[in-house]
Amino acid sequence: MLEVIEPGLETSVQDWPGRLGYWNQGFPPSGPMDSWSFRLANVLVGNEPGAAGLEAQYIGPSLKFRRDGLIAVTGADMQAKLDGTAIPMWESVAVKADQTLQMAFAKTGARGYIAIAGGIATEPWLGSRSTFHKAGVGGMEGHALKKGQIVPVGEGHGQAGHKVAETARPTFPTDKRWEIEVVAGPNDDWIDEAGHKRFLGSDWKLSSKSDRTGFRLDGPDWTFTAKATDKAPEHGSEPSNIIDQGYPCGAINLAGQTPIILVNDGPSMGGFVNPYTVPRAAFWKLGQSKPGEIYRFKAVSVEQAQAMAHELRQVCSEASIAK
Amino acid sequence: MIYEEPKYLPGGDRYMLIEFGDEMNLELNFMGQSLAQAVEENGVEGVIETAPCFASTLIHYEPEEIKFSDLKSEMRSLIETLGPSEDIELDSRLFYFPAVYLDPWTKEAIEDYCAKITEKEWDPEFIARLNGLDGVEQFVRVHSGTEYWVASLGFWPGLPFMMALDPRCMLTAPKYNPPRTWTPEGTVGMGGASTCIYPVATPGGYQIFGRTPVPIWDTQKRFPQFESSICLFKPGDRVKFVPCAIEEYEQVAAQVAEGSYQYNLVEYQRFSVKNYKTWVESLDTGARF
Amino acid sequence: MAEEVRTQTAGNMWKVLVKTGDKVKAGDVLFIMEVMKMEVPHEAPIDGTVMAVNVEEGQEGLDADTVAVEIE
Repeated sequence: MLEVIEPGLETSVQDWPGRLGYWNQGFPPSGPMDSWSFRLANVLVGNEPGAAGLEAQYIGPSLKFRRDGLIAVTGADMQAKLDGTAIPMWESVAVKADQTLQMAFAKTGARGYIAIAGGIATEPWLGSRSTFHKAGVGGMEGHALKKGQIVPVGEGHGQAGHKVAETARPTFPTDKRWEIEVVAGPNDDWIDEAGHKRFLGSDWKLSSKSDRTGFRLDGPDWTFTAKATDKAPEHGSEPSNIIDQGYPCGAINLAGQTPIILVNDGPSMGGFVNPYTVPRAAFWKLGQSKPGEIYRFKAVSVEQAQAMAHELRQVCSEASIAK
Repeated sequence: MIYEEPKYLPGGDRYMLIEFGDEMNLELNFMGQSLAQAVEENGVEGVIETAPCFASTLIHYEPEEIKFSDLKSEMRSLIETLGPSEDIELDSRLFYFPAVYLDPWTKEAIEDYCAKITEKEWDPEFIARLNGLDGVEQFVRVHSGTEYWVASLGFWPGLPFMMALDPRCMLTAPKYNPPRTWTPEGTVGMGGASTCIYPVATPGGYQIFGRTPVPIWDTQKRFPQFESSICLFKPGDRVKFVPCAIEEYEQVAAQVAEGSYQYNLVEYQRFSVKNYKTWVESLDTGARF
Repeated sequence: MAEEVRTQTAGNMWKVLVKTGDKVKAGDVLFIMEVMKMEVPHEAPIDGTVMAVNVEEGQEGLDADTVAVEIE
């Protein structure tokens, strides 16, 4: 059991791979943005990689433990302290009843993850404990943590002192620049050659008007092929307008001239084109980047993107743990 | 047009978008829905979920279990087994939804957008002008003069994407550029030729012009229509908007709040694509109400 | 010694409500940051006079833990 002493900016229960099977009713998968850090936190405390844990965004929470347990903190460095003493990240740490974990602002990265042996034990909702905070779905009573809530925890088995090998941890850039992999499509044939070159060859700045529903980017304009202008009127007359279609999670959705990367709580469907899609294995970069940081996009094939996901899955396992 | 062969487009490492055509056509929606149904009935290995829309179906697959090219072959075979959509007949519920058109709440949202984001024409006037209508009164007559077919749910939990069944009532308008950051709950809006109802206050890109007090999303399941799902609609439902005054809106809203509202729902009709096509062919589609 | 009021989070400087020379009371909101479309107000920790304002309204991409305002 955890008592929420301070909720942090927006801290929520998430599990991986999230809420699946309801895309056709408009329910996004939710789940952790940085599933690399999240899964390893779970492995450290002896949980299945996808067990429910907490995602803290920008400013972390303070949580009091109601009974003895085992935790691990990964992802952004939120200066985690147990009863005032700093604890190591990427390591399983024993906690005792009445101790308080305090997390502050993210020094590096943006999203910190807390796993607890046994996993968070809230009631699953449509098959998942993940939270879609804005829609009031899942998690603790539909939303991010609130002060005073008691968060239920399952029975766990794990050992303190397990560490994630340094080489198995994601590294965050120090120059505020990220290279983000993208796969062309589904609607890449709506953008002309100059537009593709411009997209892949320019800096894109992450706007502070970005959250789990979408990451808004500032950058140059897009230019279009005839497909975007010679089309049936029912698409809508603006070049980026298309008859509403399903959206891949990770799509770079062109709302007018503004690209918005659709992330974990993003819309499932709509009427703007998606010229590129960020593959699942690159989501951790999105999750750890901060407003004002710069993205440069690198085109990869479907197969390369799938290989990345496969490799990441191997990393997020016991194989990365030094005991 | 309806494509000779559907297009199979990649979406990152784990999505496939299957496009059946590039126009607003009930048959295309049926193709998308039928494929989704066939996938569910046949249980295609590696497919996690499907999301059909007006003219396409999105497939979410697990790349560890199936490759894109193999999935494409599977989908192609399944599509070949689907009968001609002409023969489709299905039970279709019809909802009557009171709605205030040209309402003050969407007007306020538009004014807020103009003040904070960028200037634009009041949405009903914009749509009327773009579609060559006499003015906003004719727009209301035309928009409310048809049943709307729920083609799919998406964008936000429970939000219906709908198309006008009567071609004499087809209107079109571009989406907002850039989109709004908020929309009142229950707003009726239009983007391209699609009409939607916003289940809660969300950002959005559709032109907005009306508001309904009838809930289409209910996590508490307070009404019998939500017994099997917190989303009211299913693809294949139809909606008829009934223009009403603010007083009626407020009466209905009060009934909803106290839990006594009775959904005006017709549940004995069967929709026949053949009959629908025959009827459409008999119309002078150039005429307007 | 001036009391440093640091940014609690990365994000944008949405509103700066004080200027050098202003007298403030503990609890007064000095500036409001914006991140994830959320507002994060920052309050004065003590009564005093604003000695320095190191940030500008509209400033983008600030780091957490930067000294934004100094009060004595």
